Amino acid sequence: MRQLAAALAAIVLLSLCALAVGRSPIELLRILANGSIGSRFAIEGTLLKSVPLLLTGLSVALAFRAGVWNIGGEGQFITGAIAALAAARFGVVPAILASMLAGALWASIATAMRLWRNAPEVLTTILLNFTAIHLLGWCVNGPLQERGAQYPQTDLAGAALPVAGELHAGVLLALAASVAAWFLLYRTAEGLRLRATGLNARAATWAGINVNAQLVRAMAISGGLAGLAGGIELLGTTHRLFERFAAGYGYSGIAVALLAQLHPLATIASAMFFGALSTGAGELQRTAGISSNIAVFGQAVVILLLILFGSWRSRD
Amino acid sequence: MINVILHALPIAIVASTPLLLAVEGELVVQRAGMINLGIEGMLLVAAMTGVIGQQLTHSVAAGFAAAVLGALVVAALFGIFAIRYRADQIVTGTAVNLLALGATGFVYQALRGGELFFVPPMTEWVQRLVVLLGWIVFPIALALLLWMTRFGLRLRASGENPEVLERVAFYRWSALAIEALLAGMGGAFLSLALSSGFAENMTAGRGFIALSIVIFGRWKLRGAIVGTALFGIAAALQYTLQAMNIGLPFHLLLALPYVLTLLILCGIAGRVRAPESLGRN
Repeated sequence: MRQLAAALAAIVLLSLCALAVGRSPIELLRILANGSIGSRFAIEGTLLKSVPLLLTGLSVALAFRAGVWNIGGEGQFITGAIAALAAARFGVVPAILASMLAGALWASIATAMRLWRNAPEVLTTILLNFTAIHLLGWCVNGPLQERGAQYPQTDLAGAALPVAGELHAGVLLALAASVAAWFLLYRTAEGLRLRATGLNARAATWAGINVNAQLVRAMAISGGLAGLAGGIELLGTTHRLFERFAAGYGYSGIAVALLAQLHPLATIASAMFFGALSTGAGELQRTAGISSNIAVFGQAVVILLLILFGSWRSRD
Repeated sequence: MINVILHALPIAIVASTPLLLAVEGELVVQRAGMINLGIEGMLLVAAMTGVIGQQLTHSVAAGFAAAVLGALVVAALFGIFAIRYRADQIVTGTAVNLLALGATGFVYQALRGGELFFVPPMTEWVQRLVVLLGWIVFPIALALLLWMTRFGLRLRASGENPEVLERVAFYRWSALAIEALLAGMGGAFLSLALSSGFAENMTAGRGFIALSIVIFGRWKLRGAIVGTALFGIAAALQYTLQAMNIGLPFHLLLALPYVLTLLILCGIAGRVRAPESLGRN
């Protein structure tokens, strides 16, 4: 309930942004709604936007549940997509698997630094994001640049996800992933261990759980999901890489997960909400010239409102 | 090699001044027991309000004042949620950063066009003054404040053992205000002195690098200065390497500061003792 209130309040607050640029909030809301759910085309756009958001949201939800601060979704998204592009010549299934593997490996760099050198993963994952962004910049300007080398982008990927109309199979993959994540967290012993570690690592240790091993696995699973998001975005939507490929999906995943109270199934609704906000904001930019940055702004406002309404406060 | 480093030194000192100011501010806040991830957003907002302040008044002083004001607003936002509502600091910091990114992006696009976001170069003596403040005056002042006064003792106590204090919130708010002052100046220096104005997301992770250096320097001012200097020199070598054309592609060189910071974080040899209650409410 709290979550619904936060989401609605955020929309109302956002509409006031219109006043700042001398437009009517009602008009802004109308464009936002039209652009996101007003037509079949808009709804399909929203669904497509929700797919990477759902997966990065799941990635964050799993990590936070296990008490691991993986803020590195952006970097894992990018490395996942690069790996998917590289593996696409062998077919779409190897490409998808490669994206998960690459995301997991990229996240595991942070795990290794934490376990060997006690470097906090909050920072290492963020720094790995910046590293991945420049790695992508190098790829699309260097070794992976398109034939003819005209633009800083790659050639089309050698494989693509099956499509039905405007939608691609990534929608199903993402939904399957959230059911799988729910099953893992709430129906398996591993999930119990992950959640126990997140709730109280010291108590978990006393209960005989190897907390370090949980950290390794939580980070790998989380990174794999973010990598999968990047792979699906590449194989289903963009079909090629370019410099601004990641477009903040990794960071948006944090808002998605928090609004869903870190629950994998609730993440579906949360991702659709932010997906709609994002496509609606795109429409605002095109038709009303209002910066699509208000989507990012909206994510922050939702998180802060959730805190105001009583979530994410300290338990002690 | 020595020659190359000596050549890079003056550039390094000037270019890493905003970073040092941020490091100093974050050190104070962490000593008071908070991890403010939102310092990135603080720098970004300050960089923007600094430019707007200067352009509206044609005064550098007003630019710096506006930047500090912008940083104070961000600090207040973080404080309301992290201190008043006892929200998780990492969640709050992340939200503050998203807010700053979205808000500055929104304002930038709304006001773009015209010359608002391009500022004339800063006069040499103002630049030198800020560099002097950052590298010498503030470290001495902060050292005296934190380790020689009752206020400083209590501020540090609210990071170590808040249970023994009556007014923890007061000391944490004070620490945030000090951080806003320092990071505000840092943001202004970034946009007014080191760049010719504001650009979207221009801080490019400096806040996170600052956080890393605070840890590397083990929450001590001396460590903070040494860490920033090491980082600054290594980052300045980037330009030297670029000029020497040693064959490393430009885009990979851009990743160098972040890789360096990762190495710095891994270089915390031995046991590091953080303030006891860091990150707890």
